[in-house]
Amino acid sequence: MSSPAITDCGCPPPAAAPLTIKNFRSELKPIWCPGCGDYGVVTALYRALVNIGRPPHEVAFISGIGCSSRIPGYTTAYGFNTVHGRALPVAQGIKMANPDLLVLVAGGDGDGFSIGGGHVPHAIRRNLDLTYIVMDNHIYGLTKGQLSPTTPRGAKTPSSSHGSMEQPVNPLLYVLAYGAGFVAQGIPADMDGLTKMIEAAIRYPGFSFVNIQSPCVTFGDPNDQMKVQKAKMRKLAEMGHDPTNRLHAMDLAQAYGTELYTGIFYQNPNPPPTYDSQIRERQAALQATAPAA
Amino acid sequence: MLNDMIIGMAGSGGDGIVSAGDALISASAREGYYAMLTKSFGSQIRGGESSCRLRVATTPVLNPGGTLDVAVVLNWEDFLRFGGELPVGPDTVVLYEKKTGIEPAAIPLEVKPAIVLAVPMSELAMKSAGTLQAKNNVVLGLLAGWFGLAREAILEGIRRKFSKKGAEILQGNERAYAAGLEYADQHPLARDFRLSPPVARGGKRRVVDGNEICAEAALFAGCKFFGGYPITPATEIMQHLQKDIWKHGGSLLQAEDEIAGIAAVVGASFAGKKAMTATSGPGFSLKSEVIGLASITELPLVCVNVQRGGPSTGLPTKTEQADLFAAVFSAHGDTVRPVLAPIGVRDVFGVTVEAFNIAEQYQTPVIVLSDQEIAQRKDIIDPVDTADFKIVDRVKPTPEELAQGYNRFKFTDSGISPLSHPGMPGGSYLAAGIEHNEHGDPTSSGEMHERMNDKRLNKLNPLKQRRDLFILEGDPSAPLGVISWGGMAGATLEAVRTAQARGLPVKLLIPKLIYPIAEEVYRDFFASLQHCLVVEQSHQGQLYRIIRMWVDVPRGFTSLARSGANPISPDAIVRRIAAMAENTPATPSTTSR
Ligand SMILES: Cc1ncc(C[n+]2csc(CCOP(=O)(O)OP(=O)(O)O)c2C)c(N)n1
Ligand code: SF4
Ligand SMILES: [Mg+2]
Repeated sequence: MSSPAITDCGCPPPAAAPLTIKNFRSELKPIWCPGCGDYGVVTALYRALVNIGRPPHEVAFISGIGCSSRIPGYTTAYGFNTVHGRALPVAQGIKMANPDLLVLVAGGDGDGFSIGGGHVPHAIRRNLDLTYIVMDNHIYGLTKGQLSPTTPRGAKTPSSSHGSMEQPVNPLLYVLAYGAGFVAQGIPADMDGLTKMIEAAIRYPGFSFVNIQSPCVTFGDPNDQMKVQKAKMRKLAEMGHDPTNRLHAMDLAQAYGTELYTGIFYQNPNPPPTYDSQIRERQAALQATAPAA
Repeated sequence: MLNDMIIGMAGSGGDGIVSAGDALISASAREGYYAMLTKSFGSQIRGGESSCRLRVATTPVLNPGGTLDVAVVLNWEDFLRFGGELPVGPDTVVLYEKKTGIEPAAIPLEVKPAIVLAVPMSELAMKSAGTLQAKNNVVLGLLAGWFGLAREAILEGIRRKFSKKGAEILQGNERAYAAGLEYADQHPLARDFRLSPPVARGGKRRVVDGNEICAEAALFAGCKFFGGYPITPATEIMQHLQKDIWKHGGSLLQAEDEIAGIAAVVGASFAGKKAMTATSGPGFSLKSEVIGLASITELPLVCVNVQRGGPSTGLPTKTEQADLFAAVFSAHGDTVRPVLAPIGVRDVFGVTVEAFNIAEQYQTPVIVLSDQEIAQRKDIIDPVDTADFKIVDRVKPTPEELAQGYNRFKFTDSGISPLSHPGMPGGSYLAAGIEHNEHGDPTSSGEMHERMNDKRLNKLNPLKQRRDLFILEGDPSAPLGVISWGGMAGATLEAVRTAQARGLPVKLLIPKLIYPIAEEVYRDFFASLQHCLVVEQSHQGQLYRIIRMWVDVPRGFTSLARSGANPISPDAIVRRIAAMAENTPATPSTTSR
């Protein structure tokens, strides 16, 4: 493809890109509930994409099913709103078929850690260069408020009117344990922080994960909304956390559900080779030995 | 002399029966014969009982055949376990291991074979080569000696196989082969059972199985991505593809499960590449939701289902044609997906290429129903001339169309809309599992849903005019008809030819395009018919039922259907054709029942 001045993630430097948010916002008007955290997520994403500077047609944006999974439609990227839980495998097929694309994946906590949970470890260990954004509202929004895999124990929902009896998944610890090279957490109320971490995630050469605690105003816990989050948030950078320290990152990640840490938990200082770079190498090597008939 | 011979062999894993079969078919190919080799195993992965049957002939072989001409028994327990797969008849020559200690008159068979010979196979192996491992080469010597099979070519094969293993091992196996030959020469059979010499020697014939040729065809068709998960009997497609797909600029993913496999295929197709997956029953069931996604997003892909016995784990190593309903109705919603089925190993090439072409042309998932037998059977085939095939690519939007404002799902006369892919400036759109308008924007409008269903269903209508995807044989005015498909087509073809040779007024229809049902092709076929028989390997007779769903059938429309792993022999089909003839007033000998 014809992008000039390729950096490690395939992104040209921002100076070469006279792009604005308008280039990334589609004509579809979001149908999220007023006040839904996902509005903030898409705004942060527009900003990050402006900073990255790849034109929208070189971006493939893949999601599953859920309120949050509507997000690709609100961008001018090539969007693919797939089926519930399968965004990661579809995205990997896209990236393998065309490693030149910037591939973004997004969805809800249910999409990513319940029905699609089995795909997450494999996406991590395969390490294609893509960015996975989870809008973690601790609830099933689209189906009107049932338990999600990150709903706290004891929560009363339409599918748990006597209280949840399950321990929630810890998305941060989960992806760290499987060896993700980039792990961050943000909130829509901290727009600048969120924008920066999405941008850093995209620039990371390999699988990157951003957990966004994106409140559901309609079915979510009233004590887990924007204002509360903003007050509760503690920035990892200000806490002196060294994001190259994986063990410390895991230690901090254990506070998921009690503390609200934001920022980069972990970024591998020596990123291992990506699957897509290995594909190119293998293709080149085998084509050199024996060209296809 | 015989022009056609069926040899069946059975033993335990260590007896090397299957590799003897491989050696025989390779030698037969070099010698200029046609042949078909089927293997069968017990459920153990390694070391259990194993068997193979080779049908070798001077003209192309259409099916593995029924009753054995020659049965080779290394031990009786293993042989009997294969029951109906290795049927012995009154004309069979039975060779068995003398060490089994059973007298020729006391062998545990219900029929009395033509000739029964107890041969000291182990003893000959020990004496000549000093190891029981050479027993299968003794067997090859016996077969070459008694039945006139490819003597020189077998020896050449033994040399090729053992030359790398050192002089001692090579010579031992050569001696074992010679010992078999010598034993046969010294004990001539009471009757001549030898195979006629081949019609034409040499040529570029090769030995190949359906899975291998499927992978070759995919690469030829332009496949650039494969995503799948191992499952018997489809795994070899992935295993062959992973060797070479990279050279073609493609890539391959052994996914974490079948859902991820086909999801990645949908992704690759969205990214603009031809892509496929291959699986068998259980995996096919898992893929169904994503197959529906490909239908609504109108993304081309090929999904091969190598059928095995089902439901669930079923009979994983045996063939069946019971996934036709599953293929035709493979996902929820009002959808039609083309279903194709090859009729034999060589045909897998053309059908796979056609599947890609149809997928690309009509922007739809296409399902190929292969089966265990075709997939794992080895055939000697004449080379495929790739010049016979054209390659079809999806229609992409032109720069003008992109400049005017691109509508991914634009309504067109053909129902096919130009398809962009990421990286194409101006072609961005939202692909979604949700219903959409022409532009791709989500909608819940009943009116739009109706129009999009029209588009997705009607675009496939021209396929029904593809008469080249049907085989028709026999007098078009015949009052009797037979229909068969996929793996059963070969036996049916042979049976119909036999019936025709006996003067029965029967014609044959073999669809390779199984779905959508080409109503006109069937109507034309039925026009002259009083009776029609549908032959297939499933308990319910699935094609029989699907035809009835779409077309008015003749009065005497019947089914010959058996569950997988119960082969339907050409003889059984001929008998049913003869019975139909008896019930047909037009034929002279008729009385009604
Ligand atoms: C196979 C399948 N099962 C169930 C559903 C119904 N469904 C749609 S979205 C969803 C859960 C949404 O929750 P989440 O992924 O957290 O996204 P959110 O709506 O909260 O953003 C469910 C159960 C579906 N669409 N497909
Ligand atoms: S239901 Fe919740 S998650 Fe869905 S749009 Fe409304 S606020 Fe957002
Ligand atoms: Mg949710």
